[in-house]
Amino acid sequence: MIARSQRERLLEAAVRVVAEKGYGAATVADLTREAGISRTTFYAMFDDKEACFLAAYDNVAEALMRRVAKAYEGEERWPDRARAGLAALLGALAEEPAIARLALVDVGAAGPAAQRRYRAALQRLTPLFEEGRDFAPGGRSLPANTSRMAIGAVAGLIADELAEGRAEYLPGLLSDLLFATLVPYIGPAAATREVGGNE
Amino acid sequence: MASDSRRELILAAMIRVVGSKGYKETSVADVIDEAPTSRTTFYKYFDDKHDCFLAAYDMLVEQVFAEVLANCDGNQPWLQRVENGLSTIVKLFALDPELARTAVVEVAAAGADARQRHWNAVARFTAYLEDGRELADGRELPENISLMSAGAVSGLGLDELLAGRAAQLQAMLPDLLFAMLVPYIGPRAAAEEMRRVAAIR
Repeated sequence: MIARSQRERLLEAAVRVVAEKGYGAATVADLTREAGISRTTFYAMFDDKEACFLAAYDNVAEALMRRVAKAYEGEERWPDRARAGLAALLGALAEEPAIARLALVDVGAAGPAAQRRYRAALQRLTPLFEEGRDFAPGGRSLPANTSRMAIGAVAGLIADELAEGRAEYLPGLLSDLLFATLVPYIGPAAATREVGGNE
Repeated sequence: MASDSRRELILAAMIRVVGSKGYKETSVADVIDEAPTSRTTFYKYFDDKHDCFLAAYDMLVEQVFAEVLANCDGNQPWLQRVENGLSTIVKLFALDPELARTAVVEVAAAGADARQRHWNAVARFTAYLEDGRELADGRELPENISLMSAGAVSGLGLDELLAGRAAQLQAMLPDLLFAMLVPYIGPRAAAEEMRRVAAIR
């Protein structure tokens, strides 16, 4: 029980420290100080800073995805489900701008392994997008990669806003994100109608 | 040897070494060996590894740009132009996996100024997509539409490069094309273009 809470504390500390100082500048000593644990305890859990950061990253992604999935499942029609999921995502990111920036923009600073974690975290959104196939006329014959495209478009829009230091404007991106999610499945005309319909 | 070409040799070596070893693992000594050149020459042109990488990245972007422009006739219709541009980049990356990894993957590990250069390069390419709005029959498309298109394409490409499958990019060209076009022309027309390109290849 104690070991578990120390691990949780360390993972949270790792995200805070790296978000604040940058991955390159953060040291294991910074992480242990922030978490209030000893060096020995740190190395009992992780081999190095990178291993700790990757675990911390997965932790953040997991929590984020749970929030998105919960909001998504509260609606019926696929476009409404997508809208709810995206709104939850934007809300969560806007609450924690430093962590959002780390998660979507600066993650590459920690190397290719971290970038793979980032892409894997995004792919967890796949089932939410894939429902578009059942919703869209002719959806079954769309390219296998369609959900990855939509996810890439959504992530690109969010990362661009975060890179410009505009985290507080993220909720205003909802219409564009919804358009980007729907358009590969139902096309620009229908996507525009869906986006406008609920405003 | 003219001094400019000696500098370019070092920059080309930096791109190759970073693409194969990774930015963090690359040392100035590696680049000197690869060029090959002397330490004195290296430090005559560059302050350190990072300084040299930034110059190498700038050169890389200009090379890719020159190649794309050489293959895109400005008088062609938008669809043809952006298809040519995309297939030029894909071919370039597939034939030179080290260049591709440096351009797309490793640049992220080279600091905030390097990442900024990457963003700037993507924005320059993305600007060429803007004319696609004309195909929307007067419909209002989102202001950010070119960014969606670029995000979809680069996400697919990044996954392949992270998995060490640069050569696979060529085979993915139809999918990449669909991703680029679909926000503008919708899934039916984009799928048609995809099938057309797949049939030519």
